Amino acid sequence: MTIVVAGERKEYADGLTVEELIEAEKVETPQYVTVTVNDTFLSNAERASRSLQEGDIVEFLYFMGGGTIPSLCASNDL
Amino acid sequence: MAEFRITDTVDITDVVCPVTFVKAKVALEELEEGEILSIHMNDGEPVQNVPRSIKEEGHRVLKLIHNDDGTYDLIVQKTEA
Amino acid sequence: MRMPVLRAASFERNSMAFTNEQLERYSRHIILKEIGPKGQKKLMKAKVLIIGAGGLGAPAALYLAAAGVGTIGIADADSVDLSNLQRQVIHSTADIGRPKVESARDSMLAINPEITVHTYHEYITSENISAIIRDYDFILDGTDNFPAKFLINDACVLEEKPFSHAGIIRFEGQLMTYVPGEGPCYRCVFKEPPPKDAVPTCREAGVVGAVAGVIGCLQAMEAVKYITGAGDLLTGRLLTYNALRSQFRTVPLPRDSHCAVCSYERTIHVPFDYELPTCDLK
Repeated sequence: MTIVVAGERKEYADGLTVEELIEAEKVETPQYVTVTVNDTFLSNAERASRSLQEGDIVEFLYFMGGGTIPSLCASNDL
Repeated sequence: MAEFRITDTVDITDVVCPVTFVKAKVALEELEEGEILSIHMNDGEPVQNVPRSIKEEGHRVLKLIHNDDGTYDLIVQKTEA
Repeated sequence: MRMPVLRAASFERNSMAFTNEQLERYSRHIILKEIGPKGQKKLMKAKVLIIGAGGLGAPAALYLAAAGVGTIGIADADSVDLSNLQRQVIHSTADIGRPKVESARDSMLAINPEITVHTYHEYITSENISAIIRDYDFILDGTDNFPAKFLINDACVLEEKPFSHAGIIRFEGQLMTYVPGEGPCYRCVFKEPPPKDAVPTCREAGVVGAVAGVIGCLQAMEAVKYITGAGDLLTGRLLTYNALRSQFRTVPLPRDSHCAVCSYERTIHVPFDYELPTCDLK
């Protein structure tokens, strides 16, 4: 099946779950990544049971704070 | 001839391009649809560019009056785009 | 001799009055159909608060000052450090050691002495945030830590203030705009701040200065669009930028009907502070 992952068309085996997709896509710190399937939020608990279908659109939304370096990390701004 | 009922006038002889057009545009913004503005401008760059820019904004240029002192009065009717 | 013309009873139309200097300073805005004289007047009457005078806040503050935003608030507790200057372009080498808000104010007023700048040389906390944001039309989040981002989100939702959220890291950045009643808030997308060191904020992450510039300028653009009403805001959308791939993407963001702060099931009724993550490596 063809699905769209973060804007790119990808081929995956039918029946792939979101959990398996996260692994295959090597998503970093997945427990802190928000997933949407077809513009709907998917809870972390639903990832293992949710099978993807042809044409599904999956997005991974990442926390993004600031580019501080260790000695400055308690500062209040970027 | 005195055939226009001027609602307001603006003098753009004290500024240079592109503020000439900007000042005229601001004055037109103050008018209601159909009201008439007389724009007093210098010869040269203003008279070459301002009437064209005013037309491009969709307003109706009714008349360009060449004054004896070399300046111009552009009579424009405000027309909403 | 001038042509005689009939004049209507002359009356002052001062509401749109600009000085010739203002017409010249803002001519590139006024010429734009989407902004025009009315939009410029709105900018001149607007009040924008920038929280964080750093990588994001610096370019945003400079452009908003240049745009003639009438009142700009700038909040930051820190002083300028040498390591800031790689990206925080509102500060100069000579400003090292000065409070960032003072350096930022001086830079803004140097560009545009017509505007008013209010400085808040303090940390933004649950104690002071509501009172500070209340006076502003639009808030710009230029902070680097998640507790601050959640605090700004919650306070803006509760005070019904629109704001621009943004984050940057390494070669990437992203932003979204919250407008009360019109789209998801930050907490719709992310429920809770991540535990400290769970995501690369404090550790092993740098950022390219120009990425902060790109995203900070986009935040300024959101403020200008909100104030003037031009175009479409990033409400219900997350704009992401990947500098290495030279790619922008817009990802649709749904609302969370169970959101703890912006839904009818609201459980957060007053702003609160999460513990500021302190870094082990400090």
